[in-house]
Amino acid sequence: MIQLLHIELFKIFKRPRTYISFGIVTAITFVIQLAMLTDGKGFVNFALSGVNEQFDIQGNILNGYLIAYIILQSLLIHIPLLVALVAGDALAGEANAGTLRLLLTKPIARYKLVLMKFTGAFIYTVLLIVWLAVVALFLSLLLFGKGDMINLKSEAFVMILQDDVMWRYALAFAFAVLAMTTIASMSLLLSAFADNSIGPIIATMGIVVVLTILSNLELPLFTIIKPYLFTTHMIAWKGFFDAPIPYYAIGRSALVLVIYTIGFLAATVWYFNKKDIKS
Amino acid sequence: MRKILLLCIVLAGTLKVKADDGTKLFYALRTKILTVKDYTADVKMKIDVSFMRVPQLRGTLYFKAPDKMRLERNGGLSMLPKKNINLTISNLIPSGNVTVIDMGPVTVKGKKLRLLKAIPEDDMANIILTKIWVDEANLVATRAETTTRNDGTVIMDLDFGHYTNYGLPDKVTIYMNVKDYKLPKGVTMDYNDETEATKAPKSASQGPQKGTIEINYLKYAINTGLSDDKFGKR
Amino acid sequence: MRMLLGLIFPDAGQIFIDGTEFNNSRRHLLGKIGAIIERPDMYGYLTGWENLKMFATLSDKHIKHDRLHEVLEIVGLKGREHDKFKAYSQGMKQRLGIAIALVHKPDLLILDEPTNGLDPQGIAEMRGLIRSLSRDHGKTILISSHLLYEIEQVATSMIVLHKGRKVTEGKVNDLLNPDETLVDITMTGNAGPVIAGSQWAAGLVAQGDNSFTFKMNPAHIPALNRWLVGEGIDVAEIRSRHSLEAYFLSLTDDSITAHRAV
Repeated sequence: MIQLLHIELFKIFKRPRTYISFGIVTAITFVIQLAMLTDGKGFVNFALSGVNEQFDIQGNILNGYLIAYIILQSLLIHIPLLVALVAGDALAGEANAGTLRLLLTKPIARYKLVLMKFTGAFIYTVLLIVWLAVVALFLSLLLFGKGDMINLKSEAFVMILQDDVMWRYALAFAFAVLAMTTIASMSLLLSAFADNSIGPIIATMGIVVVLTILSNLELPLFTIIKPYLFTTHMIAWKGFFDAPIPYYAIGRSALVLVIYTIGFLAATVWYFNKKDIKS
Repeated sequence: MRKILLLCIVLAGTLKVKADDGTKLFYALRTKILTVKDYTADVKMKIDVSFMRVPQLRGTLYFKAPDKMRLERNGGLSMLPKKNINLTISNLIPSGNVTVIDMGPVTVKGKKLRLLKAIPEDDMANIILTKIWVDEANLVATRAETTTRNDGTVIMDLDFGHYTNYGLPDKVTIYMNVKDYKLPKGVTMDYNDETEATKAPKSASQGPQKGTIEINYLKYAINTGLSDDKFGKR
Repeated sequence: MRMLLGLIFPDAGQIFIDGTEFNNSRRHLLGKIGAIIERPDMYGYLTGWENLKMFATLSDKHIKHDRLHEVLEIVGLKGREHDKFKAYSQGMKQRLGIAIALVHKPDLLILDEPTNGLDPQGIAEMRGLIRSLSRDHGKTILISSHLLYEIEQVATSMIVLHKGRKVTEGKVNDLLNPDETLVDITMTGNAGPVIAGSQWAAGLVAQGDNSFTFKMNPAHIPALNRWLVGEGIDVAEIRSRHSLEAYFLSLTDDSITAHRAV
């Protein structure tokens, strides 16, 4: 089992494609940081216009904590693509390359192969999020310094003291790992269906985009189905930056994501176990 | 506005004798308040506005007469109400010549106080009317209710202790009107946690809201001759 | 072939390998089999060595480095094992495939179209390799191929499948009669009537405008040629088909003239 995982990780991290994701995360982060360095004041004034009329807020508003939040907010929607790049490729890519054929003539149970593919994708996801934490949070702190964090919600202005922020980020990143793992498991299922990796990657992105739109539409019809969409729960990490933290809601969101993940994974194992390898 | 003024003048006429005492008391109080040219104080500040979820802020509050104020939080953010609704009583009391109406003794929370109404003679002043509850024995104002031209009505409660001699409170509670705040949802992409806690204030968010700021002064350093640089960029 | 390896599942029937039912002991059996299915696809971004080592690990046995070097030696890839797989020629890829199939010392090798995509030299090398594996290393090798000539040269036993059904099976030597082959002759002039009236007509199995196919002993070809020339017929070409091909076509005779595999 360990050997199988070792091989899976070896394959993932020997491929140039794997590092594209890390490059993309770094690049987007840099761009946002650069934009904030040059035009951050204007952004803050715009964002704070509602509060600024009555309160005079001074100090390092545009600090690393806020920048990291802004980066996460805009980047986490796109991370599924990067996760799909590996998870969507996991089975379909091997089918396409023909290596699945050889792999399955080795004495390995198919469910183990699926579990290893999932674990490999999970570890990749964790590393991607850790890398995101490094560039989005720690690099931002280095560039913009520390400070109290403000979080602008549509109905509230939340301020978090600077020595009260780090643990929230730790939990938020942990939650992001969970959300992205759900994506990985979905991508893996799509990957089992396909014989080339482009399909699952695009399908993953399409599903995420469509469901995210549904999750954000304020229409009565969608309000009913909203709680059942995993995309609704993927942004629960933001809850950790609220006051008070809605632990109950976050917990429920986490549960929904875990159920989805297990469901996707079970479906993958079930389907892959009876799949004819014809490629 | 003229009606109020007229009414006040009529009232002033009927309570002439008392008004003289009231006027004296007012000026004595104001003089005492104005003896504090500047101070530096360790404070704990609690902002309680429905849409603002701000934890208790600890920091150092710098004040310099007449209206400079700055909260320093050791690298943290400073958050103060806009300049004209200052956190000091000196800003809630009209300056210049003032018409004072003595409303007589009142008892608030078991304390005997004297209620004064002060109306600035300058028509253009931001302050239209200030009601002041005065503790005559200590010569301090324990409550001020100021109606301003631009910032609505501000009420300030003051609790005195260690610094009564300087007329500086240990604790100040300010009640003020705040405008509603809303960002379009698309901009913020909220996580809708669907808990009642976040939904509750929604109904209350029509029209102006009440906000409370509570400041505990832990330690004062008074009249140390703070320079203007302390208040920095502005 | 894919069913034998559990890649696709049979609609009906059971598979027994070495007397053991396949599905019940898939893992056990796969551990004793080495296989190449069609193309030898491996991870192009890994080196030959990395591919070999990885699949060796997956074979569920502890395999030492010495063994990896040994199989590289057998397939003749020594010295090139640290090149990226994608830089290999088709023949090298195929040989690495064999190395992977061999590395865990399987009892049975299954090679599905092992000469697919190889150039003539590669095909010859593969033939040599298969022979040596069988002769020198004592492996049982199951080969499927549509290149009948290749099979003929290396196989000891064979099963002929036609349209998914078994036509015959047996030892190659028993099945192939060396005294009988198909001979295609292209000639000019109106040869048909001449042949029809001769002793050779008995062997005629197909006839076109100018081409005739005879089933005959190859030893008689010169005599036939002499006779045709003597009859005044110009012979443009005489071509003897390979024996297995001839045999195959004779079993599936609906296509004698249609299939002219080279």
